[in-house]
Amino acid sequence: MNGKLRRRPVERSERTRVRGSRGTPLVVFVLAIVVALPLSASSVEQQVQQITSELRCPVCQGLSVADSPSQMANQMRDLIRERLSAGESPEAVKAYFVERYGEWILLAPKREGFNLLVWVLPFLGLGAGAMALVIVVRRWKRQPTADASLTIDPAHLDRVRRELAEDQR
Amino acid sequence: MTADLGNIALWIALVVAVYGAVAAIVGHRQGRPALLDSAYNGVLVHCALVTMALLSLEYALITSDFSIQYVVFNSSRNYPVWYKIAGLWGALEGSLLLWAWMQAVLAALVVLLYWRKHLAFLPYVIAVLMGISAFFVLVMLIPANPFTQHFPVPLEGRGLNPLLEDTSMLVHPLLLYSGYVGFTVPYAFAMAALITGRLSAEWLYITRRWAVTAWMFLTAGIIYGGWWSYHVLGWGGYWAWDPVENASFMPWLAGTAYIHSVMTQEKRGMLKVWNLALISLTFALVIFGTFLTRSGILTSVHAFTQGAVGYFFLALLAVILLSTVTLLTLRADQLKTEGTVDSVLSRESAFLFNNLLLITFCFTLFLGTIFPLLAEAVRGVKVSVGAPYFNYVAGPIALGLLFLMGVGPVIPWRGGSWGGLGRNLLGPGVVGLAAGATAFVLGIRGPSVVATYAVAVFVAAIAVQEYYRGIRARRKTAGEGPLRALGQLFARNRRRYGGLVVHLGVALLAIGIASSSTFQVQREQMLKKGEALEAGSYRVRFDGITGSRGPTHVKVQGIFTVFNDRHEAGQMTPALRFYPRQQEPIAEVDYWIGFWEDLYVILGSFDREGNWAVIKVMVNPMVSWIWMGGAIMVLGTLLALWPARFRSAAVRGERS
Repeated sequence: MNGKLRRRPVERSERTRVRGSRGTPLVVFVLAIVVALPLSASSVEQQVQQITSELRCPVCQGLSVADSPSQMANQMRDLIRERLSAGESPEAVKAYFVERYGEWILLAPKREGFNLLVWVLPFLGLGAGAMALVIVVRRWKRQPTADASLTIDPAHLDRVRRELAEDQR
Repeated sequence: MTADLGNIALWIALVVAVYGAVAAIVGHRQGRPALLDSAYNGVLVHCALVTMALLSLEYALITSDFSIQYVVFNSSRNYPVWYKIAGLWGALEGSLLLWAWMQAVLAALVVLLYWRKHLAFLPYVIAVLMGISAFFVLVMLIPANPFTQHFPVPLEGRGLNPLLEDTSMLVHPLLLYSGYVGFTVPYAFAMAALITGRLSAEWLYITRRWAVTAWMFLTAGIIYGGWWSYHVLGWGGYWAWDPVENASFMPWLAGTAYIHSVMTQEKRGMLKVWNLALISLTFALVIFGTFLTRSGILTSVHAFTQGAVGYFFLALLAVILLSTVTLLTLRADQLKTEGTVDSVLSRESAFLFNNLLLITFCFTLFLGTIFPLLAEAVRGVKVSVGAPYFNYVAGPIALGLLFLMGVGPVIPWRGGSWGGLGRNLLGPGVVGLAAGATAFVLGIRGPSVVATYAVAVFVAAIAVQEYYRGIRARRKTAGEGPLRALGQLFARNRRRYGGLVVHLGVALLAIGIASSSTFQVQREQMLKKGEALEAGSYRVRFDGITGSRGPTHVKVQGIFTVFNDRHEAGQMTPALRFYPRQQEPIAEVDYWIGFWEDLYVILGSFDREGNWAVIKVMVNPMVSWIWMGGAIMVLGTLLALWPARFRSAAVRGERS
């Protein structure tokens, strides 16, 4: 039960992980302030961080190489660092792993072909839903107020009592 | 013997459940009160029988009766009694029994609370609840029997998955199941409303507390799951967008949409179809999640074994969806909206957009979770859909939701003017922007994190503003002191003011998530004895290794001395646990929780003589805000749920 002694560059720099994000109309006013800022040129360590967070640890269940504590992930981190230091581009490093393990190794599917569905559908759904809602709200606004000649449902009475008893806002 | 008892109890429970469902409907239709009473009693008997089955399995687990296969696979003689008990929900068959038992207790509770009340609904409610109960019992009797015998009888069991050996095992599953099961009551009432055609808000009033309580348990269960992941799994995170995490999050999102949109129907008689559809969706997602976990079609940390169980859950899912759609179609003419709005800018429309974002979020999770299956079916290629995808797509949706959470509570029902809205939003908006600007000045540059800070502070400021206004108004009109005014606010509109507390909790949670996922500091290094590594303001020195023997494993601890700004701050002992049946050791994290940051230390590997060790040290900022936010959310929900007696008394007091 002894761990394997493996020498490797031991110092790891601080990692900063910025969640990917897109402005929605609702927060554009906030984003507009900051989104235009130039991002500092990324060092090798930042690139390592970026790449490892996008690759799946092959022996874990759904963890990224960056997060995984396994030996396998350690070795992959070292390999990525070596390749980047040797001047390979991040894309080439990722392509290397895709070639070895298949597309499965990428934690986010490539944005091409059939995979576009998974990237586009949520936003299409959001757009279509928003349009439908605008139509619904407009129709609500146009409708004449429902008349009071309906039969009185006990639940209605109950509701009236409740609403009288509570501050309505 | 114990197995026979359990099996017999389950068979009779199945028969009784079916009888209860049929008797309730026939008794109601033919106006035979005796038969209806018999159905009520049937629910209680069913509960007693499932309890008997549950106790049989627990007895077998506690006494290590290895003639039962389930006990062999999920328990060990060496376990302390708590783990033996928790073995009940450690795997597929037992967890179904726990679920069936909670379902049975819930049905009994409904019957006891509503004895001779809500007579129009209850026969159908009983039928639906007993139908669900019968389903779970049936699954246990056919594809997943917890009482299957094991021969030859081994001397020792195999024990739980070591990752489950944690006190959280006694909490997280129970909270989650309570949430799942709780949503079946509003679902059953919704179905009863559709079947009987009593489609006013009556069923909503009856089930309001059930839905909110279920939501609270689900919330607590999910956040507790995050805490479990954080302090046990040892990767420094609390949420991995694992398919099964998503499976619990999907009904939470639909349930959240539901508990908001019902207010529109209660106050304004609108969104009737939508509410019925939402509660069905919530329950369908619970079953879908169970299908994902139990069918073995996805691999995940939480996955149970494979088998025919999946088909059963798929069939139930089909029944839920088809029955809802059919009933909604049949009742379409009765489900017209009653209300109208004066302005597009109304609380009603705010709730609609809140629902749109929640459901889009839910859909994104659904799509991302099943997409690997789709891609494999269509392209024949395996793909992964994980954290980077979900952060990218769901991140902005979550931010939009957070923003609406601030705006919603200050838009009046029916509609208001832009000017009025402006007055309500001006103060909090300025505070939020100031918070964003402050973060920027302090050197924080990630757009998403700055935006999250700004919007979260905005939401918190709205909550504070509404409290302040409410208290000020009461002090003016009723001349009350500030504390009494605060109490009266709750007494008179618990739901609104409890809800604002929940929103405050979500704001804290959002800040915690944004900070911890952006500013985590992580270092990993091989240390010789006496060497130290630095992370943030901490220095961690390696002092050696010790070993010890636990009940089920051998534990090797690293001893580390931690200095904070040169002051010795204490000792930390992260460990590796070696289980006889596991190839890889399991890391036991050592952590210090702080308000601003947590120090989190993981032992990677070590040398037998204790000359060196590899450790990973993380400084995780503001993770504790997530737990605080979660606690505040639960507290707010409890405030909103507080019994009405207090309010009625207060109202009476006011009138006298």
